[in-house]
Amino acid sequence: MVNKRTHEIRDPIHVFIRLDSDERKVLDSPPFQRLRHIHQLALTYLVYPGATHKRFEHSLGVMELASRIYDVVTDPENIYQQYASVRDIIPIYRQFDHLHWRRTLRLAALCHDLGHLPFSHVSEELLPEDWDHERMTMEIILGKELADILRQIHVQPEDVAKLVIGPKKSKAYLKVELNEWENILSEIITGDVFGADRMDYLLRDSYHAGVAYGKFDHYRLIDTMRVLPKQEAGGSQEPVLGVEEGGLESAEALLLARYFMFSQIYFHPVRLIYDEHLLDFLKSWLDKGLFPTDWKEHLKYTDNEVISAMLSIAQNKSHPAHIHADRIVNRRHFRSIYRSTAEDRKLLEPGKKIYEAASEKFGEENVKHVEKTQTRSVSDFPVLVQGTRIAQAASEKETFEDVTSVYEHVFVSAEMKNEANTWLLNNREGILSSAGGG
Amino acid sequence: MERYERAAVLLSLVEKLRDGDSWCGETHVQKGTYFLQDLLGVPLEYDFILYKHGPFSFDLRDEISWMRAKDLLKLQPQPWPYGPKLIPGDNAELLMETYLKPIERYTDRVQKIADEFADMGVTALERYATAYYVSKNHEEVGDGDIAVKIVELKPHISLGEAQEAVEFVAKLRRVLSES
Repeated sequence: MVNKRTHEIRDPIHVFIRLDSDERKVLDSPPFQRLRHIHQLALTYLVYPGATHKRFEHSLGVMELASRIYDVVTDPENIYQQYASVRDIIPIYRQFDHLHWRRTLRLAALCHDLGHLPFSHVSEELLPEDWDHERMTMEIILGKELADILRQIHVQPEDVAKLVIGPKKSKAYLKVELNEWENILSEIITGDVFGADRMDYLLRDSYHAGVAYGKFDHYRLIDTMRVLPKQEAGGSQEPVLGVEEGGLESAEALLLARYFMFSQIYFHPVRLIYDEHLLDFLKSWLDKGLFPTDWKEHLKYTDNEVISAMLSIAQNKSHPAHIHADRIVNRRHFRSIYRSTAEDRKLLEPGKKIYEAASEKFGEENVKHVEKTQTRSVSDFPVLVQGTRIAQAASEKETFEDVTSVYEHVFVSAEMKNEANTWLLNNREGILSSAGGG
Repeated sequence: MERYERAAVLLSLVEKLRDGDSWCGETHVQKGTYFLQDLLGVPLEYDFILYKHGPFSFDLRDEISWMRAKDLLKLQPQPWPYGPKLIPGDNAELLMETYLKPIERYTDRVQKIADEFADMGVTALERYATAYYVSKNHEEVGDGDIAVKIVELKPHISLGEAQEAVEFVAKLRRVLSES
């Protein structure tokens, strides 16, 4: 008889994360253990020293939250019988299909980040065209090592893969279209409104960075989540994730938490410029400037290999990647001379104009321009009001109208910072007056 | 097409839809852009897949987020039971003045889309766009079975509604190929 003992893992965010012996086989596999060596926030720890947490514990957290969401939205007491489009797709509670999809969802949540490259998102630019971390994740899940384990515990690797990579990438890479139920399950993991991935990273990144911005009442939010038709009768009846009205403030807090985390942590100017230097280093250090796409080769690369090489090359002045390693290791990163203001955003491309003028003055190799927008800012979801009518979140709360922004910086090399600041002070107005259009 | 040119064409679509008294929520912009690109060949380069409420582009959704962040578009909430509208933002006029050429190049095609779809509600847009998507992307399905396939993929659409959508799309193709 198979031992299905429950294992408990201590976690600073969720206290205990429990998994059974079958799920532990995936946890103990080399592709998953590799995540112990991939920083969740790349080089952010050079700005916020506590942010050294890894994809390993985040993946466990996503599994925990995805399970809680699943249990709430499939509980018969939380399924509104008047909505046929919802009622008809949710498997019967505690029956085979319900348990099967719960297991598949948990494993998909656990595996959702397996394909991350060293230092996570920043390195994705160094994959060949048409490749990204989701595709790498799919390759690993369908690769023999993990697929054998999944089949052994009666889970189909293809089902896990499509829930992880979602509808867009499933269509592109697996040539399959997700059905309505699979779309809901995928949304539970990586959805753009209340996905478990988003909830866990906000809470966890906030905790480790030592800031309070990412906190919100996720207990209340999860407790009020429901599968609802997108719109009131007469509108689209397609089932999506929404909330009961009691969870609206928690959803609002999540949206604001994300906004503040982007402005304070993810798009912190020093973190952004470290990303640029890291990218330059990797391009110079990697064979042909690219990471491999063979999943077995991919698994050989973690942050540790990159950090080790970077420390060594920072000491070796003759290495072509030395200048980039030196900028990171010895904190000789470029300095910000320009950040777009609310007033500047009335122009179309203010940062680009400053960058072009600064490049002409100081040399292209000494100037960098970074523009970032908070993507996947979705705020239209259904809200069940008084148990009887479906409203739209943006109609219920003004916060959902517009919480997004553009962050634009121009950086110059550290040694030119003072000269560049003086130059910009004297020329800023003239440069920006030409920034009407492209 | 580069990003600001695409944004200018999208803004011209929003304006023409609104001129035709469209509700102009995100569904209208998604489906209008889908027909503009896939039926009328405007090279906007968005990937559309069959998702919630029919063909949907995640790239376009991110583009709309970016346009909102750049004050090119605004979300305008509406009282229950209606969803929010997308309206031109404070920087829309500046962008459209700057990128007149791409707007002029595609203005006839944008106008055709607005003429056909401006007065439709989201459920009709969902059905018609899904019918077009299935007819185009499921070549294994014979003409007579497209409606059945639509119901299989989108169970909340009835067979009668699916059949009517298939007929509408066939007529639309005829009309647009003749014009």
